[in-house]
Amino acid sequence: MTRALWILWKREVGAILHSPIAWVLLTCMSLINGFSFSQCVAYLGQGVKEFTVMQIYFYIFHFWFLLIILVPILTMRLFSEEYKTGTIEMLLTAPVRDGDVILSKFFGVLFFYLLLWIPSLLGLAIFQVVTHQAVPVAWIPLGFSYLMVTLVGMLYLSIGLFASVLTRNQAVAAMISFTMIALLFFAGFLSYLVRDPGWRDALSYIFTLEQMRSFSAGQFDSRPVVLYLSGTAFFLILTRQVMAGRRLKG
Amino acid sequence: MIQVENLMKRYAGGEAVRGITFSVEKGEVVGFLGPNGAGKSTTMRMLTGYLPPTDGRIEVAGAKLPKESLLVRQRIGYMPENVPLYPEMRVEEFLEYRGRLKRVSRGEITHRVGLVLDQCGLTDVRGKIIGSLSKGFRQRVGLADALVHNPMLLILDEPTAGLDPHQIRSFRELIKELGKDRTILLSTHILSEVEMVCRRAIIINKGKIEASDTLANLEKRVQAGALQIEVKADPAVAKEKLTKIAEVSLVTELNRAGDWVSYEVTAAPGKDIRGEVDGLIKREQWPLREFRREKARLEDVFVELTQD
Repeated sequence: MTRALWILWKREVGAILHSPIAWVLLTCMSLINGFSFSQCVAYLGQGVKEFTVMQIYFYIFHFWFLLIILVPILTMRLFSEEYKTGTIEMLLTAPVRDGDVILSKFFGVLFFYLLLWIPSLLGLAIFQVVTHQAVPVAWIPLGFSYLMVTLVGMLYLSIGLFASVLTRNQAVAAMISFTMIALLFFAGFLSYLVRDPGWRDALSYIFTLEQMRSFSAGQFDSRPVVLYLSGTAFFLILTRQVMAGRRLKG
Repeated sequence: MIQVENLMKRYAGGEAVRGITFSVEKGEVVGFLGPNGAGKSTTMRMLTGYLPPTDGRIEVAGAKLPKESLLVRQRIGYMPENVPLYPEMRVEEFLEYRGRLKRVSRGEITHRVGLVLDQCGLTDVRGKIIGSLSKGFRQRVGLADALVHNPMLLILDEPTAGLDPHQIRSFRELIKELGKDRTILLSTHILSEVEMVCRRAIIINKGKIEASDTLANLEKRVQAGALQIEVKADPAVAKEKLTKIAEVSLVTELNRAGDWVSYEVTAAPGKDIRGEVDGLIKREQWPLREFRREKARLEDVFVELTQD
């Protein structure tokens, strides 16, 4: 990590933590997470034996709905605001590389994104206390699950960052990233419908829900790791290109 | 300090800067003058490495653009138009962040920030949130930001825009003070500003340089100014006699009040007619109650150079 990146990252995190939106999000996330988690527990209480609580938690609708909504809200202001208020000019006339600026925003928002998932871990901790640790924590599936949350988050956040550099209007940025992320997420479901085996393979390769299911069951697969990391890199590079292009326009 | 050759900037919609060449020497305070939309900001943005030029050569603070952009950016202090700042940060915190970003070492940062806070008159508001500051103070924060890494060259884009007269005055004093040991290029469309703080002006219009000279030389370019007199005399006679003076090119009657009549007497370019007119009035024994020379102002130069 370069020195400039570290300084920029600190300011990004500071800006996020100083915005009311961050605390509203954290509160709402905790509420929905808690609600969703108690539903999962209730589901187990009906005698379901074949899944762990975390497997259900990461599979149910609440989780994905939250993820798809959350990312555009987190990323919409990253560049849009800088372009709108003109601070981008101040930022890019300091001796820093464009790449540092982009990475600092990416890692800054990733940091906060990961913070947002802490309440879900708290749910698990409470679950352990309440059940007097009758159910052992399956650490490996749990670790894999959060790895997947991180990987998917990285890709979605990079898409959000890309959408944000396209426009100075935050609402437009949010809508663009929401559309892209939603299409990407729901495209996986098409693998149930298409007949052509080639298409089915291709679509299941990006079927996030299924990937999450296998990860939370403790089955590691390197293909999604490659997919999400390369996808993230792709959108970060695209962001840089757009940023350079915007300068040409003035 | 700044060397620009044949600089061009073309947008999809047209040309903002059409092949300009100029230079600024070390230690100069130069005004970059032009009507709104003349290409001032675009040029400055190219000088700071923010915009890539379409064509031309730029050398700023001993480094070439766009190749050595990072080096240039580290050596110059730039205050963009409208002074964009992060509103949620505190003044001191912001300056520390900017200083560190511009490679002021950890050991030096407190000293540098303290210095520019003092220099820009911000010590009292150092703990305030930028968003809560008045426009005048925000402008000062922008200047402090441009100064925090002790750059050899300051580029200020319309530094006094939007300030009230008091703030403008104190801001100009500040710039004047800074110009003593630094090179400054500042853009403006307010002429009195250039007259007050700069020794040289570059006048730009429609993306081209119309003039680049010291203020004194620029003023010589327009007619040496007209003389306004008000005398008690027969209007027809007075006008005839004034017109007869050899160096006078034009006499215009401005006003009549009772027996008093006032004229604007214009001299031929470069001539001083004060002596002759005074001699005439004394010979004719016209009672005189006004005798005033309109000094050629930068404004006249500006209007003459930038009109269509």
